[in-house]
Amino acid sequence: MLIQAIITGLLLGGIYAVYSAGFSLIFGVMGVVNIAHGDLVMLGAFTSYWLFTLGHIDPFLSIPFSALTLFIVGYGIQRLIINRVVEAPPIMSYICTFGIHLIIANLALRLWTADYRSITTSYCGSHLECAGLVIPYARLATFGMAVVMVGGLYLFLNRTDIGRAIRATAQDREMARLMGVRANHVYAMTFGIGAAITGVAGSLISSYFVIYPQMGLSYTVTAFCVVVLGGMGYIPGALLGGLILGVLESLTATYWNAGMSSALTFFILFLMLIFMPAGITGKGIVE
Amino acid sequence: MTRMKRVTAILTIVGLLAGFVVVPAARCADKIQFGFSVPLTGIFGKAGKLVLDSYKLWAKKMNAEGGILIKGKRYPVELVYYDDKSDPGVSAKLVEKLITDDKVDLLLGGYGSSLVFAASAIAEKYKYPMISGGASSNKLFDRGFRYYFATLGKATEEVRGCVEMLKGLKPKPKTVAIVGSDILFTSLACEGFKKYSKEAGFKVIHFELFPIQLQDYTSMLLKVKKENPDVLLVGSHTLVAIKTVKALKAIDFSPKAVAFSYGPTVPDFVKSVGKLGEYVFAASEWTPVLPYKGPVFGTAAAFDKLYYKTFHRHPDYVEAAVAAAAVTQQLALQQLGLQPPYTEAKREALMKKLHDIDIKTFYGEVRFGKDGANVAHPPIAVQIQHGKVVTVYPKNVRQTAPIYPMPSWGHRK
Repeated sequence: MLIQAIITGLLLGGIYAVYSAGFSLIFGVMGVVNIAHGDLVMLGAFTSYWLFTLGHIDPFLSIPFSALTLFIVGYGIQRLIINRVVEAPPIMSYICTFGIHLIIANLALRLWTADYRSITTSYCGSHLECAGLVIPYARLATFGMAVVMVGGLYLFLNRTDIGRAIRATAQDREMARLMGVRANHVYAMTFGIGAAITGVAGSLISSYFVIYPQMGLSYTVTAFCVVVLGGMGYIPGALLGGLILGVLESLTATYWNAGMSSALTFFILFLMLIFMPAGITGKGIVE
Repeated sequence: MTRMKRVTAILTIVGLLAGFVVVPAARCADKIQFGFSVPLTGIFGKAGKLVLDSYKLWAKKMNAEGGILIKGKRYPVELVYYDDKSDPGVSAKLVEKLITDDKVDLLLGGYGSSLVFAASAIAEKYKYPMISGGASSNKLFDRGFRYYFATLGKATEEVRGCVEMLKGLKPKPKTVAIVGSDILFTSLACEGFKKYSKEAGFKVIHFELFPIQLQDYTSMLLKVKKENPDVLLVGSHTLVAIKTVKALKAIDFSPKAVAFSYGPTVPDFVKSVGKLGEYVFAASEWTPVLPYKGPVFGTAAAFDKLYYKTFHRHPDYVEAAVAAAAVTQQLALQQLGLQPPYTEAKREALMKKLHDIDIKTFYGEVRFGKDGANVAHPPIAVQIQHGKVVTVYPKNVRQTAPIYPMPSWGHRK
């Protein structure tokens, strides 16, 4: 029972991590708390949903499509909208991204109605069973992707030119600009990459969570908790934060009750903000 | 503490999420304007849309006849409505706006117990009768209101048919686990499940309410699986039902029966979960096969047919109850011969009439108890068989026998 709860929690944590990494990246580089983050998850999930429903393309195979779509959406949003407020006080970016959230969510509502949708694949719900433990394959795959994506993102930021440019801009925008970095382009790339991995997350969850236009905000809130826990802007922190939160929630749901697991999330958020604003790793960005 | 300020700022912005979808309303003396607030977005958005369709169907039907015939004159029906975004505060505000600003003649009920709870308090304050067909929490009836009525039974009563059906199964189930989301309606459904399970002699081995926002059900249901109940009873609405079925399959949990308070009767359910939805039971108050008949829509089957012709889908029992609510108010107006404008005295007369009314409609009998709840309506149980909702209880009207125990996940095609 305990082991099962921990496994379920780790798998859930993988899901959390996968959709929080982009949130952390965008915050880390630009200091923008992207309230429309959950809507990017929604768009990714809907991309997979439509490809599955209309083109019979498996949600896992639709990952490149949603990554590409969301990269374009993310790049566009940053270039056209957020770049204009990135230097303004933080409240401007809240209002701005909140507006983007409203636009995306209501546009989706108009286009796709408030229906609850879900993708039911032939292997849906199939699982690995060993020693009485149940491990759903789809979640295991998501967990694997979470590790790969967070690792990949970390390496990308540390080993590639564009990654270095992103980090340089995050550290000192003016100095980076003097070194020949095109800050606006770098910001747009960052948002695009952040959106792309969030789109991948949307595709991954689409096979086992319910998809509907209004789903976004709750994902934003969870991502916020995960990222605060792991350290704002510190990429590996998203994985760590996700796993900790997943296991804690699973243990609470198993040994106490499911109602307390959500309360616990917010309680932890509250404590972290007061006592450890830099996250459990201490590597988060604190202003 | 910049971060704290940020959190506060985010929360404030979220809290400010409010707005109105304005439907232009032209004033005209010889028609009757019916105002209502209904959730078209948010958690109840989907169900609210069904309520709206149902009212539209009723209005269309009446207007095709030239309007409601009162004392020899026909009054066309006009619907004035706003989206309350599934927020009780907004719902109350909108009903007040309908009464004081739009000056509608009469009100119709919205959807969702928490929303109607707020809206009906405003209706009571301004003395406007409100008959809801989409809210059934017991709390709605405990307030001593005189202007609030409902065509549905109370939420705790709605699930009675399901439990009675389970009681008659062979071999009789012994243990039940009850879970449900903690919003008003679904938690009351859980209370009803508990009450009737005890009366039926089932042992309740697990009872748990969870927040509606809960993203992942697997941990909670794994815990229930370990307790191995014969039956899983779920206090649900559509979203909860869909998530529960998917999670049951993912953790390979197959009790002998699964019953939902609400969800599987909504067409979205089968569309969304496909074969995974087979064999689940659901509480219901109406299906087209019932032998009901009355003015306006004719028989239950005729209502179903007209609905299908108009919207290309079959109505669920809430849609029927909503149309029945509109019909009930209409019949009361006709019987009294009350012509607009509806002054406070006329609305009071209408309210008194509704307390005495006893009519037969396509939805069954409507007779309100002192607290406004429909006391004449027996709950029924349905099951998903071959992708269709079929009536399995009570025995004298059922289409087919319930399939029990349901095959475990491993033994399905």
